[in-house]
Amino acid sequence: MNAVAMADGMHDVTPSRDGGVAVHGLTRRFGHGPAVLDGLDLTIAPGEFVALLGHSGSGKSTLLRTLAGLDPVHEGTLARPDAVSVVFQDSRLLPWKRVWDNVVLGQAGADRRERAVAVLGEVGLGHRVDAWPLTLSGGEAQRAALARALVREPAFLMLDEPFAALDALARLKMQRLVARLWARHGCAVLLVTHDVDEALMLADRAIVLDHGRIRTDLAIPLDRPRHHADPGFIHLRGALLDALGVHDD
Amino acid sequence: MPANVIPSASVRWHGRTVFQCVDARALLRYAAPVIAVLLWQGACSAGIVSTRLVASPVQVIMTGWGLLRDGTLGANLGVSLARAAAGLAIAVVLGVGLALVSGLSRLGEDIVDAPLQILRTLPALAMVPLFILWFGIGETPKIALVALGATFPVYLNLHKGIRSIDPRLLEMTRTLGLSRMQTIRDVILPGALPDLLVGLRFAVGMSWLMLVVAEQVNAESGIGHMMMEAQDFMRTDIIMVGLVIYGLLGLVSDQVVRLMERAFLSWRPVHGRGQAA
Ligand SMILES: Nc1ncnc2c1ncn2[C@@H]1O[C@H](COP(=O)(O)OP(=O)(O)O)[C@@H](O)[C@H]1O
Ligand SMILES: [Mg+2]
Repeated sequence: MNAVAMADGMHDVTPSRDGGVAVHGLTRRFGHGPAVLDGLDLTIAPGEFVALLGHSGSGKSTLLRTLAGLDPVHEGTLARPDAVSVVFQDSRLLPWKRVWDNVVLGQAGADRRERAVAVLGEVGLGHRVDAWPLTLSGGEAQRAALARALVREPAFLMLDEPFAALDALARLKMQRLVARLWARHGCAVLLVTHDVDEALMLADRAIVLDHGRIRTDLAIPLDRPRHHADPGFIHLRGALLDALGVHDD
Repeated sequence: MPANVIPSASVRWHGRTVFQCVDARALLRYAAPVIAVLLWQGACSAGIVSTRLVASPVQVIMTGWGLLRDGTLGANLGVSLARAAAGLAIAVVLGVGLALVSGLSRLGEDIVDAPLQILRTLPALAMVPLFILWFGIGETPKIALVALGATFPVYLNLHKGIRSIDPRLLEMTRTLGLSRMQTIRDVILPGALPDLLVGLRFAVGMSWLMLVVAEQVNAESGIGHMMMEAQDFMRTDIIMVGLVIYGLLGLVSDQVVRLMERAFLSWRPVHGRGQAA
């Protein structure tokens, strides 16, 4: 299968001209298994906030890893900005570097520390600048990971279930933080989540991945800040749950 | 203000019980060896144990003091320490170098790891006759023997440490666009440091073991030589002084490595400290 893909000569990741993301005909398999992504098409406009939903194992992480450049593009084309950042479900901080040093890991310049301190303040972690990562709470660690992603000023930010391991209260605070940061930085965002409400609170668009393709593409034309009790919210919630094959009576 | 009295009193009471517990345990820990030494001394003094076979503690201390004053102990100890230090230094350089080569590249692993894994199954002490033939009876075979024994723990632990770096961290460094050199410096080496220090501790223990054998097989100086000479004259007291010195050397060098761990691994949570075996 690899040989075929190589012969195709279609493993191009091109930098997008406008800062948006464009995926065409992306197919991905592991070994000789079935296609996890099967001719997938997806476009994300610059500055657009897209929520990606789908059942466990539907290929959300695989898509995100491909977009991040961690997995190769065997079949299909992918255009995306050069400046991308990823936040995973686990913070992936280096335990042996202090929080601020983790944030600007690999960044050059004499103002490294100032930049780290500034962005840590932005995510509400100004008091843990010099802490060791293993002493952070789960929520604090994810904030640090978010700071590490933002300090690189990405045009496209990918979040793979970044709040899934947090308690309900911490998750709520993180959602508000992400909404604020997105409004300020204006980067395109792809948020993988299994939480329908989270998608509706944050995103401009919710897409559902199913059997290797985007089967549902739902615009969320609600004003911000949004409220769970809003009739429009409740209507979209039903539509999205339907698309996921979950029916509430 | 009775409300104030109660907590302060209870705090003091609590503090005292803590101290009492610590005292009792510490006392027990130190009391047991002291009692053993006293029993030993009693058995020797009462003539239950022949002092030709086992010197009494008082005798050992007197002899040790005498050897210290006439310079015999200092000279031999210096020679032994120099051999151990030289051998250990070679082992660290070799072990770290080989582990970096085999840990950081597939090709290096294929070339370096397999031969070392085979060699490591040989008991290092079995090399003594060969080393004497190769290197003669000077300092070289002794240092080489220490180096041989101590290289493996350094290599094996560091190699394992490099190979078991969390792949998620390495993936993260890729998304951050770190270069290979930056990844090695900021992720792989610090991540493998705890294993290197474990290896170092084994290596230090191995060094003393190798040194004891090397100095007792053939040597004109060193603690081991001092003990073998004493054997010819049936001086159990000198032999036991040597044993005490070996014990102290092991204890002190282990503490030094522990201090290094504490200094280099300060990022570990406090509760993780002190439980290393
Ligand atoms: N490295 C891999 N090797 C083999 N199969 C994999 C690998 N990564 C993911 N898969 C498979 O691809 C499918 C999609 O996985 P994933 O993208 O992680 O799903 P999601 O994130 O939507 O839960 C799953 O069936 C999974 O078993
Ligand atoms: Mg996933």
